[in-house]
Amino acid sequence: MGDQVTRKPELAELQFHPARRKAANAVQTLVCLGLVVLAVLLLSLLFGRSGERIAVQMCVNVAAVVALGVFCGNSGIVSFGHGAFMLIGAYLSGILTMPAGLQRTALPMLPDFLAGHELGVWVAMPIVALAGLVFAAATGSAIARLVGASATIATLGLLIITHGVAIGAREITRGSQTFFGVPRITDLGVALGAAVFLIIVARLYRESRWGLSIRAVRDDPSAAIALGINPRRSRFIAWCLSGTMLTLVGALYGHMLGAFSPASFYLPLVFAHVAMMIVGGMYSVSGAVTGVVVITVLQDTIRQAEGGFDLFGVTFPAVFGLTTVALGVAILLIIWLRPQGLVGREELGPGSSSRMFNTIRSGTKRAAAPSIVGDGVLSAEHLFKSFAGVAAVSDVSFKAPTGAVTGLIGPNGAGKSTVVNLLTRAYEADKGAARFENADLLKISREGIARQGVARTFQNLRLFGQLTAYENVLVAAFASGQGAQGAAQIAIRELAAFDLDDMAGTAAESLPYGARKRLEIARCLAQAPSIILLDEPAAGMNPAETEDLADRLSRLGGERGVGMLLIDHDLRFVNRLSSRIVVMNRGQVICEGTPEEIRADPAVIEAYIGRGRTAATAQAAQNQEDEPSRGVVET
Amino acid sequence: MELILQQAINAISLGGVYAMLALGLAIVFSIVRLINFAHGEIMTFGGYGIFLSLLFGMPPAAALLIGVGAAVVMALAMERLAFRAMRGADVVSLLITSFAVSEILKVLFQNGISARPVPISLPASWSGTYQIGGATIGVLPTVSIIVALVALLGLTLFLKRTEIGIAMRAAAEDLEMLLLLGVRANRVVAVAFAISGLLAGIAAVIWTAQRGSVDPMMGFFPVLKAFIATVLGGLGSLGGAVLGGFAIGILEVLAQAFLPEAFAPYRDAIVLATVIAALLVRPDGLLPAANADRS
Repeated sequence: MGDQVTRKPELAELQFHPARRKAANAVQTLVCLGLVVLAVLLLSLLFGRSGERIAVQMCVNVAAVVALGVFCGNSGIVSFGHGAFMLIGAYLSGILTMPAGLQRTALPMLPDFLAGHELGVWVAMPIVALAGLVFAAATGSAIARLVGASATIATLGLLIITHGVAIGAREITRGSQTFFGVPRITDLGVALGAAVFLIIVARLYRESRWGLSIRAVRDDPSAAIALGINPRRSRFIAWCLSGTMLTLVGALYGHMLGAFSPASFYLPLVFAHVAMMIVGGMYSVSGAVTGVVVITVLQDTIRQAEGGFDLFGVTFPAVFGLTTVALGVAILLIIWLRPQGLVGREELGPGSSSRMFNTIRSGTKRAAAPSIVGDGVLSAEHLFKSFAGVAAVSDVSFKAPTGAVTGLIGPNGAGKSTVVNLLTRAYEADKGAARFENADLLKISREGIARQGVARTFQNLRLFGQLTAYENVLVAAFASGQGAQGAAQIAIRELAAFDLDDMAGTAAESLPYGARKRLEIARCLAQAPSIILLDEPAAGMNPAETEDLADRLSRLGGERGVGMLLIDHDLRFVNRLSSRIVVMNRGQVICEGTPEEIRADPAVIEAYIGRGRTAATAQAAQNQEDEPSRGVVET
Repeated sequence: MELILQQAINAISLGGVYAMLALGLAIVFSIVRLINFAHGEIMTFGGYGIFLSLLFGMPPAAALLIGVGAAVVMALAMERLAFRAMRGADVVSLLITSFAVSEILKVLFQNGISARPVPISLPASWSGTYQIGGATIGVLPTVSIIVALVALLGLTLFLKRTEIGIAMRAAAEDLEMLLLLGVRANRVVAVAFAISGLLAGIAAVIWTAQRGSVDPMMGFFPVLKAFIATVLGGLGSLGGAVLGGFAIGILEVLAQAFLPEAFAPYRDAIVLATVIAALLVRPDGLLPAANADRS
């Protein structure tokens, strides 16, 4: 297929990608909505009244799990804390809407500011949402700092705390007794409406710049930070949105139940929701929807059996908790057999490169090349760094100007990558300074480095694996402050510059190795940096690919005036591009000069091949190093 | 002064239980990256082991040993049946698996034994008191402190001195590398689970002896505290888990002893909120685990 397509039409195709991506996103949202509506129709048509009751419950669960997924799916952190939000929503909405007379008997000790409002449910909703947002912001400031399992356990702590407070605050909640008198307004129309609304919100968020940012953080926090994305803030936004949505769902759930207690929002409910999310697939909205539908069907089938039943004359006894066991087994089977859930990592429905969108031909212009980078110098000044007493970098100083390529070479363990990590604050320097223009890079925040015009790539490829190639570049352009239109144009420019146009819609983790290497450079160029630190860009490439990369880099350097600090083991590659080369060995700069000077320097030869060799053997060794077999990737 | 001594004993005894549970969680986590939600059910199973052996007329001391043994068996069975198939899966999958195992076991306990608490009656002499300088101190809290400290000390020696202990510490750093060196991973992982079961079993003995009953949720709540303790200490750090366990036990007893009556219903909430506030200052915990992340 690929060999029939000539170069030109491909380039033209790329400009349609943003419009096709939008269309694909819309279709994927419709698929989610279609799933819910179909399930509701089937339930109410097949089972009448009881089916309708199940459908209401299902829609509320869809709303809850979709809202939960806004945080969990996009951040990759499982949360058990959503029961807390639902509890707050249900109680607050209940108190605000309860008939005043009933409230006086049920809650005689209710504080005055809460008492006697008797609001309509829809009037109360904005207040409930606001309360949810405030609670989310308060808790999010703590939880957004944590990652992985620690964050999950903290959310569990939040659930326990809220549950405990709800039981303790008898004046407001009647403690562990049943809270009653809540108007039951959640019928099928309301529940379905809520599910549809929240699905749309969740889908819009997931594909928005904020959604892309937090998914970038989820896939690779270090790379996201290097692009100037603040992980904590991304998580905080997701947490607040998810929490607000869940508070609303909690209110609807309360208005469905009419009477409830703190236990209604505790571990059994939370467990059921998390199970639904995992079974369907936590990374997508369609996964959340699918999980709820599948588990609802499973649960209601088994619930029939829970009270005991006769099968072929054998009487099975009533087993309390059979539905819980079924949920547990469903989770186990899914995790063993399909760890990403039934739906998998991507949304159900056609992707942006699906043939079905081939007719969409509304183009986005390629952004013009960025203006030529002005004069500037990145300078390392007396940097020191040791790990557990071993000096990895000691007293390293050099300068790398814009508009030129500065090579940084040295044998393995010389401290080259450590220097890059110090300059970009992945490590904190023990001593020294790093300046670009007038900014002291060691004094500003880690995310702030990118805004100073200093970008980097990583020795071990760090792409946002689940994002498409286009989205990888797009999120970088967003992070540099571009608007939607500008970001799309820039993404097209960079993908075209690195020959990635026919892979725009492919998830980064599915790209071939060479393309991934190029994508990483395209991604950092989307931010129009003044200088980029390239940490072994040619590692693992074959000679032809290396040659091609060298061509592109020298062209970009010429066109845009971007400075480069180039680290690589392929000396021919470095020699070809660099106007100056810095050589490091054992954490120190041993030599600095033009490629010719470096090649002649005995200290460099000694560092690479040891003492007592002649320049001729050095040359021979270097030739050998240029053989294709050289490409051992350092990990 | 007497009050302080009594409360100190209570605090250390409760902290000891949390510390053992948290340490069990941390040992397993450090090696296989599993946050074992079902750890509480290991403890509960230990409690039922005691209950059933007493029911069948065993002498109390033997019943306690069987309880500890039951917890070890449960931990090993869990590893073999549920978690071994998942080895190498990501943290979230493992966590959810254990969550499912925990829910299933709770239902099995409810149906197999009873949803209500079942009594465990140990000899009255065990729950006696003695006097130190005018303070009345329970025998049981004292014994539990001794047992907890001996268990923690024994484990430290085990990890530092024995071959398998050293292998376990190595596995915590890099399980893959250990495999390349030819160490049998299954054995290391199984021992880790056995130790976590042993600690949970000892915790079950202390817990049931103090409470006098077992129910399906018995292990769940102390283990929730132990989770928080592992995070407070620094997830994956063994020393941190012990420190976190004692810190939470002490906080809880302090809250019980010194908070005004009006705040009593919010005791747990206040303790947990304090811990989360501590995490704001130290997101990696009190004694963070060493963790190299090369970019």
